[in-house]
Amino acid sequence: MAERAAALGAPDKLAFLLSLVPYLIDQVRVTVAEAAEHFGTTPEQMRKAVTLIAMSGTPGADGTYTHETLFDIDWDDFEERDIIRFRAAPMEERPRFSAREAAALLAGLQRVAALPSFAARVDILELMAKLARGASDAPVALAVRPGEQAGIHGMLVDAVAAGRRVRIDYVTTRGERQVRDVDPIRVEGIDDAWYLRGWCLTREAERTFLLDRVASVEVLGEAEAHTSEAADDALFQGDADDELVELALPVTALPLLADYRGADDTVRIDGDRAIVSLRIAHPGILGRVAARVAGAVEVLGPPSARSAVLDWARAAIAAQGTDPA
Amino acid sequence: MAAAPRKVPVEERLFSLVLALLATEQGLTKAEILSTVTGYAHRYASQADRANLERQFERDKEELRDLGVPLETLDAPGAEGDTKLQRYRIPPDRYQLPDDITFTPEEYALLRLAGQVWREGSLSADTRRALTKLQGLGVRIDDTVIGVAPRIRTRDDAHEPLQAAIDRGLQVTFPYLKPGVTVTEERLVSPLALVFHEGRWHLHGHDDGVDAPRTFLLRRIVGPVTTLKNPATRRTDPEVAARVLDELARLWQATTACVRPRPGSEADVVLRNRAGTEEAAGEPGGEAALVVRTTDLDILADELTAFGADVVVLKPPALRDAVLARWQRVVAAHG
Repeated sequence: MAERAAALGAPDKLAFLLSLVPYLIDQVRVTVAEAAEHFGTTPEQMRKAVTLIAMSGTPGADGTYTHETLFDIDWDDFEERDIIRFRAAPMEERPRFSAREAAALLAGLQRVAALPSFAARVDILELMAKLARGASDAPVALAVRPGEQAGIHGMLVDAVAAGRRVRIDYVTTRGERQVRDVDPIRVEGIDDAWYLRGWCLTREAERTFLLDRVASVEVLGEAEAHTSEAADDALFQGDADDELVELALPVTALPLLADYRGADDTVRIDGDRAIVSLRIAHPGILGRVAARVAGAVEVLGPPSARSAVLDWARAAIAAQGTDPA
Repeated sequence: MAAAPRKVPVEERLFSLVLALLATEQGLTKAEILSTVTGYAHRYASQADRANLERQFERDKEELRDLGVPLETLDAPGAEGDTKLQRYRIPPDRYQLPDDITFTPEEYALLRLAGQVWREGSLSADTRRALTKLQGLGVRIDDTVIGVAPRIRTRDDAHEPLQAAIDRGLQVTFPYLKPGVTVTEERLVSPLALVFHEGRWHLHGHDDGVDAPRTFLLRRIVGPVTTLKNPATRRTDPEVAARVLDELARLWQATTACVRPRPGSEADVVLRNRAGTEEAAGEPGGEAALVVRTTDLDILADELTAFGADVVVLKPPALRDAVLARWQRVVAAHG
């Protein structure tokens, strides 16, 4: 997992040491392998941490370290049998959560609690109250409220669990309606959007479908098992057929384009204007980009894209005409 | 003198500091700490190192506070504010998790899932440390609670500095591009809470420029957040985030628009799947119209503009005008 790969800094290492001490005392006697597994670390890291703790202590009244104020472990057990057993410990307290740590977990719980499959088994409010009480300060102001999920979300989650093939009525980013047969691999949530990752039998390839674009779901027979080849983050592959379009917009509006930017885009800053090259599937998406920045985007080229955007906006205005203002 | 002292890793120095401050009842002065605690003591003899050591100690105190370790400073009687005589300690009752706080294997499994919601930035780091502390409680995980948590991204550049400013109670300034306008404004804000609603991160704070509470979209903070040295003009409290979410939810429930998507179009599918959408009752002409909800008509205008001719905006008139104006700007830029 990504979090494991990240280099841990001193705060993480300190949190580990402070948490390890009460655990080891509670266990009374535990193998290095078991303790390492419990904390999701390696036996080498565990031995290193235990050695560090065993050499630590508190200065006595005269500022010197004596055997009463030092941690002491059974060194024979540790060095010969890989077993951790404390003989003396000047500290055994279990640390509280920091306000920020508690806030991060509480906000995460608010997200998870909205999923019926997880929430039913635990009294969430009681758990949240416990977490807040276990923090050294009032948790920092942070809160999450997920949106409701459409009925198709539940159907697709069930289809994944039961291994069912589904037929979905889908509208593509080009605005085309298509019927696709899919063997679901998983349903993923990112921010408030949900995605179905699955093997598309129509395309004979792995594809991702945004649930917002699914008009209906029909459950077919049994699905074949597929394992996903794509990394978590590779939700959409860029399409090499998409046209490369050049846009100009105020530099300050660049962050608003984040959703449409891909790996091979280029950005050139010209004074307070940014010139961006993007791969765009069709004029509707260009219109969407222009809308994001409330009309401050100009399509520079190619000329066909420029006139397509113009036609797109004129058609939209014309469509409003017949209705009362 | 002994042989050259070994280099003491940071975590060992911090660990020794916690041990020393937790063990002392009456507190230790800075000089006592620096001259006896592992990681400082071997450098204390050298006068040249003394100033560096004091700065190191100041940073270490911050590290401990960030980790939720409560540090108490006791003034010597009759010498209030004299840092040389001040004594430091960690009160065990404020450091220690209360004994009655325990977690069941199911609760622990759910907390692990909650931790998966964050995959980046300081929320992920905070969660990782909280889960380490939970591991220290020795609870075994209930592995029948399985699943992958949905994740929430915190990729707005403003997220980290705003969270830190709320944490420290400081004012911030940032350039803001209000929905519906094209010119950014510099805002001076006392930040109070970050909330995630309708798939977007919002900052709630007191706008000190206009002296009124305001809620901002993080996505529309289009430049760097500058944290000032001034304390915030309002204090945050544990209820503020929930209160802001309730207000946003009420606003969302009350702010409706009526639109008619072209049947079968992308707009039709997406708007019908949108949370809160209902069929509009009894529209003349017979064609199906939808009632959609939003917290901000200007944000909805941006979303509707994207559907082009596939959507007809019926009401309110302000929304209709806002969407028309956006398309007209596109025409003006390309005509």
